Amino acid sequence: MSRVHKIFRKFYKIGLVLFLAIFLLFIFDEIQNLDIKRYLSEHYISEGVQETGAINLVTSVLYDYRGFDTLGEATVILTAAATLSFMAPIKKVKMLGTEFTIIIYQTIIIIIPFLVVLGMNLIFFGHISPGGGFVGGVILAMIPILVTITYGITFSENKLKANHKSLLEGIGAIGFILLGLLGIFAGSNFLASGQANFGLGNPGELISAGLIPYLNLMIGIKVGAGLATIFNSLIKEG
Amino acid sequence: MESAVWIILLPLLTAFFLGIFKLYSDKLFYSLVIVSMVIYLYLLILVINDSYPPKVYSIGDWGLLGINLMVDSFSAMFLLIIAILFITVIIFSLNYIKVNKHKFIILTYVMIAGIAGMVLTADLFNLYVFLEVSSMSSYALTAIKKTDKSIESSFKYLIMSTFGSFFILLATILTYYLTGTLNMAEISLEFKSVPFMIKSTIMFFFIFGYGIKIGLVPLHAWMPDSYEASPIPYNVLSSGLVMKSAIYALIRLLYVIFGVEFLTESGILNIGVFWGVLTFIIAHTLAYQQSNLNRLLGYSSIAQIGYITIGLFLGNEKGLIGGSFHILNHGIMKGTLFLVLGIFYYSLKADEIEDIQGLGYKFPVLSFTFVVAALAIVGLPPFNGFVSKWLIIEAAIEAGFFYAAFFILVGTFLSLTYYLKVIIKLYTKTEKKTLIEKPDLSLKLPTFFLGSLCILFGIVPSLPLSLINNIPKFLLNNSEYIRILLGG
Amino acid sequence: MELPYVVVIILFCLGIYTIIMNKNLIKIVVGVNIVESSLILLLILISFKLGGTAPILDRKYELVVDPIPQALALTAIVIGGSFIAVMLALVIKIYKRYGTLNVDEIRKLRG
Repeated sequence: MSRVHKIFRKFYKIGLVLFLAIFLLFIFDEIQNLDIKRYLSEHYISEGVQETGAINLVTSVLYDYRGFDTLGEATVILTAAATLSFMAPIKKVKMLGTEFTIIIYQTIIIIIPFLVVLGMNLIFFGHISPGGGFVGGVILAMIPILVTITYGITFSENKLKANHKSLLEGIGAIGFILLGLLGIFAGSNFLASGQANFGLGNPGELISAGLIPYLNLMIGIKVGAGLATIFNSLIKEG
Repeated sequence: MESAVWIILLPLLTAFFLGIFKLYSDKLFYSLVIVSMVIYLYLLILVINDSYPPKVYSIGDWGLLGINLMVDSFSAMFLLIIAILFITVIIFSLNYIKVNKHKFIILTYVMIAGIAGMVLTADLFNLYVFLEVSSMSSYALTAIKKTDKSIESSFKYLIMSTFGSFFILLATILTYYLTGTLNMAEISLEFKSVPFMIKSTIMFFFIFGYGIKIGLVPLHAWMPDSYEASPIPYNVLSSGLVMKSAIYALIRLLYVIFGVEFLTESGILNIGVFWGVLTFIIAHTLAYQQSNLNRLLGYSSIAQIGYITIGLFLGNEKGLIGGSFHILNHGIMKGTLFLVLGIFYYSLKADEIEDIQGLGYKFPVLSFTFVVAALAIVGLPPFNGFVSKWLIIEAAIEAGFFYAAFFILVGTFLSLTYYLKVIIKLYTKTEKKTLIEKPDLSLKLPTFFLGSLCILFGIVPSLPLSLINNIPKFLLNNSEYIRILLGG
Repeated sequence: MELPYVVVIILFCLGIYTIIMNKNLIKIVVGVNIVESSLILLLILISFKLGGTAPILDRKYELVVDPIPQALALTAIVIGGSFIAVMLALVIKIYKRYGTLNVDEIRKLRG
């Protein structure tokens, strides 16, 4: 009886998923036949450069029109990093690693400055070319991760202590909110970069688009420190 | 209305600063907690007082091009719940939590910021982002004890809740695809020209996704395990705020974006009432068989959420008022029960029903508070639970759902049986037990405060009802809400 | 019915099938990742216009792709990544306590 029961439950679950698939097919088919209106994005495309000063429209949407979402997402990374750091054991577990040849060690030392330059370039030019705070932060986080993988976790923890990384994260997050508060002090609302006329400058130059380059920098620091903390905590657990 | 954005910003700033201070000094940590709590209470009272008529706040001053925050009576009621429960829980947990105290307080602040963000926003994707913020801190708080059970129940909660989030995100993406905007008022205007079949599908996805987070049967499986294995102050916040904020989001979406006419047309109101009745019948039956007090209170929470669902899905004015009042009352009553349980656990490590035998004579005032709160949840006069339940029953009869009213009365008797079981155990005499820790004033004061609110709101229900009476004006008639959001 | 939308639906349903049917904890986490990826793919598909360019306006272009879903996708990627990290940490802790990754075995051990 229990065997029949198990097979029945299996088929019942497969049936549910198939039903969902067919349902979604119908819905997408019907949606294709409607004509879609996109006036909001058309406004962003035609007026975005004048109103915010950034030529990269995705950056202007992410940091100026919808900057609040970025704040929420930065909070999620910070919470995840804090969660993982308290779940990892305090004393260091021996990491199963292999001994690399000397070529790898020397190459890593040469690559690290280039990674720093690449990351900073992506962060600072985020409003002119593709990139932005998040991608730059991920590249900056690669540096502690590479050191951890090749040199082992004790060496990496010695060079960049975990406390300093969480301090960097906190600074990045607080910096973001304080930059947003500048908008309130200038007489407008929170996170007002375009509307508060923060020196929009010429589109296409480095110092333009009001607050956006500084917001990029804060997010870059925060994401970099957060991802490095997450990686080190996951390594320590195993 | 400038203070509206500070309600979200202040807990976030406090949490970030606490994260830095934790590394340096303890005294700075606690003084920051107390200072920010006092300022936050002041800000909440300021915003709640100024919430009728509703006010709009544009982030970045972009008007309709960006994200807006909107404070109306439904949000103000949730801010009142946050004010009552948050202060109580922080004072309680300053002394109660022994392990990982700093992380607990930081994560609680982040969770409150997430819930405040969910309650105040008027933008669809922003709602999803803040839902994830509050969920992420919830998962972390469930696993904070690091015992076997907490890790496992946190994992189950994580998987099921993420499953729900996927459907919410899918529905949000489809809504953007159909309307091209993310502002709730504009979506509601554009939705009038969308065909019926597609709207019903999106509504079904929203209800399924939020139903997992609310805890409607059979999607509730993560809840009793998570109550058993998490610290008690988190249980107060989880039953009082986290699940209720999912109800808030669902009701806001259903009534403002879809509109009452569409809801009646599609028959979802009947399904909602039926589902509510099913939930509390099953939950009451399962609660009777539990021997662990945490799980018993957890199943009782699921049953009360069934009542709230019935009240809010009736679609008439009295139902909305009754359902919202029950949200407020349940938070207070369940909070009292959990806090008393917390004191028992703190002094005697008492977890099962057998362990609390005879404690009625050792802690007379606390046990009296427990009895008051238990009778209030069952729904006896003159406590606040009676007032809200009576409003829901009246509203059900008015809307023609006679079977719902009948089953609510049956459910009252069912809940009386298992609460009486606990109360009788509390007052049977037994041999003396030794205390491990004596509970001091900072643990007892919050409990008495919440218990006295049970009696106060029962005798003078006009105090909170003056706030709640304005809720149906903006939910049933969504054109008012839309007009204020578009004009502001 | 364009092909990319069918791919999105297949990925979504495959991911959900993995979550509800599989017994191995790591495979459940992989299933969550697949569903997450399918939703982000759907977001990118929505913003596409045939013949449009990337939304970086250093010159005047005729047809520019929609920038809003791209920003939403960035947020969704980051949030999904944090969830996967927390899930993996919990899976490692469960493995160290119980020694197995099978859901049924863990339920039996816990009693």
